Amino acid sequence: MSAADELKIVFTGPMGAGKTTAITAVSDFAPVRTEVGNNDQESFAKASTTVALDLGQLGLDDGTIVRLYGTPGQDRFSFMWEILGRGAIGVILLLDGSSPDMCAHLRTYAEVFRRVAPEQPLLVGIGRTSPHDDRPLDACNAVLAEMGCSAPVLSVDVRRRDDVLLIVEILLAMLEARIAEVAHDVH
Amino acid sequence: MSTRRRFDATVVRLATERLQAFTQANTNVQLAVLTSGDGFEVASYPSGRPSTAKVAAMGSSMQALSEALSREAGLSHARNLIIEGDSGSVLVLGLSGTSPQVSLAVVAAGSELLGRLLWASRNLCKELEAELTKTP
Ligand SMILES: Nc1nc2c(ncn2[C@@H]2O[C@H](COP(=O)(O)OP(=O)(O)OP(=O)(O)O)[C@@H](O)[C@H]2O)c(=O)[nH]1
Ligand SMILES: [Mg+2]
Repeated sequence: MSAADELKIVFTGPMGAGKTTAITAVSDFAPVRTEVGNNDQESFAKASTTVALDLGQLGLDDGTIVRLYGTPGQDRFSFMWEILGRGAIGVILLLDGSSPDMCAHLRTYAEVFRRVAPEQPLLVGIGRTSPHDDRPLDACNAVLAEMGCSAPVLSVDVRRRDDVLLIVEILLAMLEARIAEVAHDVH
Repeated sequence: MSTRRRFDATVVRLATERLQAFTQANTNVQLAVLTSGDGFEVASYPSGRPSTAKVAAMGSSMQALSEALSREAGLSHARNLIIEGDSGSVLVLGLSGTSPQVSLAVVAAGSELLGRLLWASRNLCKELEAELTKTP
């Protein structure tokens, strides 16, 4: 990747999966946030929710600037998924491994982003998993296989900077691999 | 819409009455929606339009974005957002001091003079603020 590149990646996923937390954990500055009071405690019990976007930034050692966009989670804000997905070089889909709706959420978001960003790498990060319990990861892999969608599935604690950095780095590595593949095909 | 049950029935009724009076007094107004900060319709007039839920969600996103942009630009507080289209305009105005936080989205057609529309919409916001902050 050439120095001084600017890349855009998108964090998406359902309400409470940890998009805002993840971006806050790795951003070089306090992210731009659009949090407001949450009036839908039944869907996810927490004080606030993102209604437009999160915007953070991560500078890499080679000078590359990675812009980190977070979407709102609820489908009434799906118009923002489309807007934010445009121009993204990769998508990180965060899921709540303790939610009974995890697989349904995976299907919904993977479908939307496969349409909005069809050529871009997708990575699935599952939070709230217990160590040594691979069932949420297996379930997600099964859904992706059924959808004919290839994406790595990793367990991630969005509150930990190192975890989030790792998934961002994996996504960038996937992008480089794709670029190399395309270059190889051309020659 | 079922989301209305989130909000106090009296508040919804009073707000709907204000929105109705406003829409009738400003004949180019096609839709007025009071929306919670997190994008739920609190009240609207005319009610039951297919686009209302979307206008409510988009209005709250735009309001939050205007506030975020105002903060970045060092303006202390975003008052209104004005979108001028070829065939009409959309205003989004934040109300102060209400709980839950709400904003008003107004969709007006054609030649409604923007200044007049803004003035009338601000007055409506003041009325709604007074209504919504009244102790029950
Ligand atoms: N206990 C626990 N909390 C977690 C874990 N992962 C994330 N959280 C918490 O879950 C919450 C996630 O909230 P947000 O970051 O606002 O989630 P979001 O995806 O941005 O949600 P919306 O903007 O509402 O769609 C935060 O309070 C995190 O600290 C976990 O593994 N364990
Ligand atoms: Mg968020």
